[in-house]
Amino acid sequence: MAMARSVGTLASLALLPKTDLKGLVERLMGEFTVVGPVPKGKEYVFSPIQSAGDLALDYGTTILPPKKVLHQPFEVLFSFHETEGICEAREPERKQILFGLHACDVYAIQILDRAYTLEYPDPYYGIKRQNTLIIGLNCHQVGPTCFCQSMGTGPGMRQGYDLLLTDLGDQYLVEVGSSSGEALAAALQLFPAPRVMLVEKEKRLDEVRRKFHKRLQTTGLHELLEDNFRHPVWEQLMHQCLACGSCTMVCPTCFCYNVVDKLDLGLKSGKRQREWDSCMLLEYAQVALGHNFRKDRDARIKQRVYHKLVYYEPQFSTIGCVGCGRCISACVKKIDFTETIAILRGE
Amino acid sequence: MKAKPRIAIYKMSSCAGCQLEFLNLEPVLLDVVGALDFSYFVMARRGNLPGPYDIGFVEGAITCGEEIEKLKQARKDCKMLVALGTCACYGGLPSIKNWVPQRVVEGLVYSDLSAIHSTKAYSIDQYVEVDAFLKGCPVNKDELVEFIKGALLGIRPYLRPHSVCVECKLHENVCLFTSKGEVCMGPVTTAGCGALCPSNAKACDGCRGPANDANTESLAHAFLAHGLHKNDIIRKFRKFAGLTPEFSKGVEVV
Repeated sequence: MAMARSVGTLASLALLPKTDLKGLVERLMGEFTVVGPVPKGKEYVFSPIQSAGDLALDYGTTILPPKKVLHQPFEVLFSFHETEGICEAREPERKQILFGLHACDVYAIQILDRAYTLEYPDPYYGIKRQNTLIIGLNCHQVGPTCFCQSMGTGPGMRQGYDLLLTDLGDQYLVEVGSSSGEALAAALQLFPAPRVMLVEKEKRLDEVRRKFHKRLQTTGLHELLEDNFRHPVWEQLMHQCLACGSCTMVCPTCFCYNVVDKLDLGLKSGKRQREWDSCMLLEYAQVALGHNFRKDRDARIKQRVYHKLVYYEPQFSTIGCVGCGRCISACVKKIDFTETIAILRGE
Repeated sequence: MKAKPRIAIYKMSSCAGCQLEFLNLEPVLLDVVGALDFSYFVMARRGNLPGPYDIGFVEGAITCGEEIEKLKQARKDCKMLVALGTCACYGGLPSIKNWVPQRVVEGLVYSDLSAIHSTKAYSIDQYVEVDAFLKGCPVNKDELVEFIKGALLGIRPYLRPHSVCVECKLHENVCLFTSKGEVCMGPVTTAGCGALCPSNAKACDGCRGPANDANTESLAHAFLAHGLHKNDIIRKFRKFAGLTPEFSKGVEVV
C-alpha cells in the first residue's frame, strides 16, 4: 500500500485500565457526540451512544460502515424557494468521535478522504470530516468473511487514527496518531506507557493474524483482471447475481450518490437531497433517451470488481477494497469476489 | 391561474385500500385538494361529475366484462391514465385465482354461480394503454405525492426502479435473509415502499412486483437452498404479480 505512515504514530504511548474506559467515554461525551458500535439483532451498527454501556467493543463488523456518518445514506444538501433562492442554512455540526473503528474501516475513510476532499472537494463531507476524530481499536475479531490482512489494511491499524486502542487483556494500550489525538490524550490524563508495551501489542496482533481463513492474492492483480475480461466466470456470476445492490450499499469505499429534488406540493419550494447510489443497479448507467451503457448484469458485476481492484489505483494510489468482507456477508447468493479472483488464477 | 387538473378515481376488483391512501395523505391532504380537483371520487364525495378528466387513477384488477367496458370508457375520458396499486399494475391479490379453474374458484366463494361470469384477473394494461404505474399493496403515499407533483409540473417523477434491498440497506436493517435465516422477496421486488415490511422485521412479500433487473431464477434457487418447499416458492411468486414474465420465471425454476 502506498500510503505514508503518519509520523506521530509512536510519539506517545499510554495505558488505560479497562475499568477506566467508562469514565473516559463519559468525559468524551461531554464534549463530543460519540458514535460507536452498538448491537442490533445479531448484528452491530454504528450509532451515537447515550451512555458508555451502549458500546459493544467486542463487535466483529457492522451492517453499514462508519462511512454513513461522514457521507450519509440520505442527506439534504440545501433547500430552495421560488423567490428566496437557495438556502444553505446548515446547523453547525457538533464535533464527533468515531469510537472503536477497526483498521479496515479507518483505511476506507482515508480512501473517501481522497475521493471527497482532494480534486473535487465535497463541502458536505468536508465539514463533517473536519469535525470528526477517530479513536481506532485494533481488531481481534476475525470474521469468516474478513480478508483485510490480504489487502494490507489490517488487522493492525497503521494510520488514519487520532487515538488507537489495543486490547491487552485488562487494559488498553493507547497510541497517539495525530496532534488532535495528542491533545485529546493530554486532556484525558492517561498513564504513560513504556515502549515495551508495543511488543505486547505485536504479540496480540500476531495471534489475530493467524486467525484469517479468507485470502485474496493481490500480486499481479491488474494484469490478471485485464487478461480475463472475457473469462466465463463473469457469465456464471451474471446468472447468480440478484442485482439487488446490497454489496455496494454496505461497501465502506463506495462513494457514488444520486441527487433528487423533492418539491413541496405548492411547487414553489423544495429540497435537494442525495442518497447512496450503486453501479450494480440497472438504472445507474442509463442516460437521457434511455440508452444504458451497462445493461447486462455481468457488465455491472465486472464494473464493481474492476473498479475496486484496478481502477481505484491510478486515481487514489491504493486498491479500492479494504477486505472488510461486508459485501460477502450481505450477499444472499454468497457471491464472494475473493473466490472469483481465485478462479481467475486457476486455483 | 391555470385550472386545477380534474381527477377521476375508478374502482375495479379491489379492496379500495389504494384509493383510501388519497384520504390517508392527511398531513398534506389540504394541499392535495388545493392542487387537484377531485371531480370523480365515489369514496370521498357526493355528486360526482362527468368527464373528461385530466388524470384517471384506476384501482383494482379487471375480472369481468363490465370492468373491461368501464376501463375502456375511462381511457377515453382521461388524458392520462394511471394504474393505482398492484392489482391494477399486475393483477395483484385477485390474480391468485388465475391458476385455479374458473368455475372451481367461483364455487369456493359463491353458492349460486348462475349470475357469475368472471374472467381471469388481469392488469389494466392488458386492455388499455397505461401512462404510469404506481405499485404497492397499497400504493405508497410518498410515491403517490411524488407522482402528483410530477404530473402538475409535467415531468417524470422519480420512482425507484431497483430492489427493496437498496432501501433496506439504506435504513440499515438487519437482513432477514442472511442474518435471520428467513426468506425474503426483497432482492427481486421493486423498492419505493421504504422497505416497510423488512424495517418491521417482516420479510418482503413481493407486493410491489418485479424490480427492473429482477433475477427471480437465482432467487428461487436460493429459496430451494434454504429448504423451502416447491409449493411455497410458487405461492411466493404468484401472490401479487404471478402474471409478470419475471415472477413466472421464478415459478418455472421449481
